[in-house]
Amino acid sequence: MTTKGEQSFAFALAAILLVVGVVCYAAFPQKTPEEPVRLLFKTTAGKVLLDHKTHAADEGYGVACDECHHEEQEDSSSCSGEDCHGPDSEPKRSDALHTNCKGCHEDGGAGPVECRACHVM
Amino acid sequence: MSNEKKPVVPHDLFPWKPAKEAGKAPAKKLVVAHAPFWHDGGKISTKNYHIMLAALPAVLMGISQYGAPALGVIAFAMACAMISELVWNLVLGKSISIGDGSAAVTGLMLGMLMPATAPWWVVLLGTFIAIVVGKQIFGGIGFNPLNPPLLALAMLVISFRGIFDFNEALRHYDLGFVMTYPLADLKAFGPAAIEKFSLGDLFMGRQAGAIGSTFGLGLIVGGVYLMLRGYVRWEISLSFLAGVFITALLFNLSDSAKYAGPLFHLFTGYTLIAAFFVVPEDSSSPANFIPMLLFGALAGLMTVLIRNIGAYVDGVPFSILLMNLANPLLDKIRPKAIGKVVENA
Repeated sequence: MTTKGEQSFAFALAAILLVVGVVCYAAFPQKTPEEPVRLLFKTTAGKVLLDHKTHAADEGYGVACDECHHEEQEDSSSCSGEDCHGPDSEPKRSDALHTNCKGCHEDGGAGPVECRACHVM
Repeated sequence: MSNEKKPVVPHDLFPWKPAKEAGKAPAKKLVVAHAPFWHDGGKISTKNYHIMLAALPAVLMGISQYGAPALGVIAFAMACAMISELVWNLVLGKSISIGDGSAAVTGLMLGMLMPATAPWWVVLLGTFIAIVVGKQIFGGIGFNPLNPPLLALAMLVISFRGIFDFNEALRHYDLGFVMTYPLADLKAFGPAAIEKFSLGDLFMGRQAGAIGSTFGLGLIVGGVYLMLRGYVRWEISLSFLAGVFITALLFNLSDSAKYAGPLFHLFTGYTLIAAFFVVPEDSSSPANFIPMLLFGALAGLMTVLIRNIGAYVDGVPFSILLMNLANPLLDKIRPKAIGKVVENA
């Protein structure tokens, strides 16, 4: 059995925490940054995590935007739209990404080229 | 002398027995009663608020790193846990039990095991599972065979794998250190991929992970505080850590190119929060000395087995739940009762 004091304290604690929790969820929703930090591609061969920030930053690998984003994409960061690399498009997203990622890694002699070095299987 | 005629059994040792009148021999010379023999004035609520206090360093580190979303998860989890228990009490017409702080601790633990990006409905569902499925349907505090927050975590991890994939959940965060989840890197790419993590960084909480499980120093300080206060059994915590360390060391010695070292396993994932805040939970852990050592060590062993050769990135939820199931069996290893029954004596 708990005392009345303990119960009152618990009620007050629950009320305060509920308010704090609701306010935090309502006022600070998860935001997607304007320029992605890391991108996660979900593929049939497992997830691939791309450190976008390090690739794009001058102090990182300094890859120019148009080396990957060869066309202006409006209001979308997805590559797999119908106009880009969708299932019926040529090349498909997987082909485009493989060409870009692996091609660049091979040309530069740096970065992973083996399947299991990128794909989390 | 009149002093020699005083009762053999002093009244203040057995207050429930009526004091014998001076001069009369006591009716019984030996009174047998079950434990507890002494009450030190401690309360369940005091213990639970001490556990919350001990968890504070690790929680504050998580909130300082991830900001308001982390605070939201922790606060909402605690509130939902307390409200779930209150509603359950009211629906079943039981006395209200949230005053003992147990529901708040369950909510806090579950919040600490979640990523800062956990949606509100996952927190709500998780706390409901922890409180109702994990604890209340068995009869409430002291009756749960499994650790409630861990049961909820295991069910959520299986049901919503993407939300608990820290690489996916925390992909928008850049906190100035390596932000990939260490255990996921180890699982997917092997020990070569974890060379970028320094043990100092891992120990000081500079790693991706759940809100309250990354700050090793804070968890150890909190754990030592609880052990010194007697709220956590050191036998379970330390044997769990020893189980993780020795198993990881043996794997590492067998093939260091394939398996990470023991310190990496100690400072990553849920290891430290499990050791000090989850494994020693009263109801789901043994009470005797040797069972406690076995329980902790086997949970540690299972944790590393799952991490190194199992399917899941972190083995903590499943290894401890499995050992929770073995708990009643382990507690059968106990001292023999003193004395024996002699017929026709």
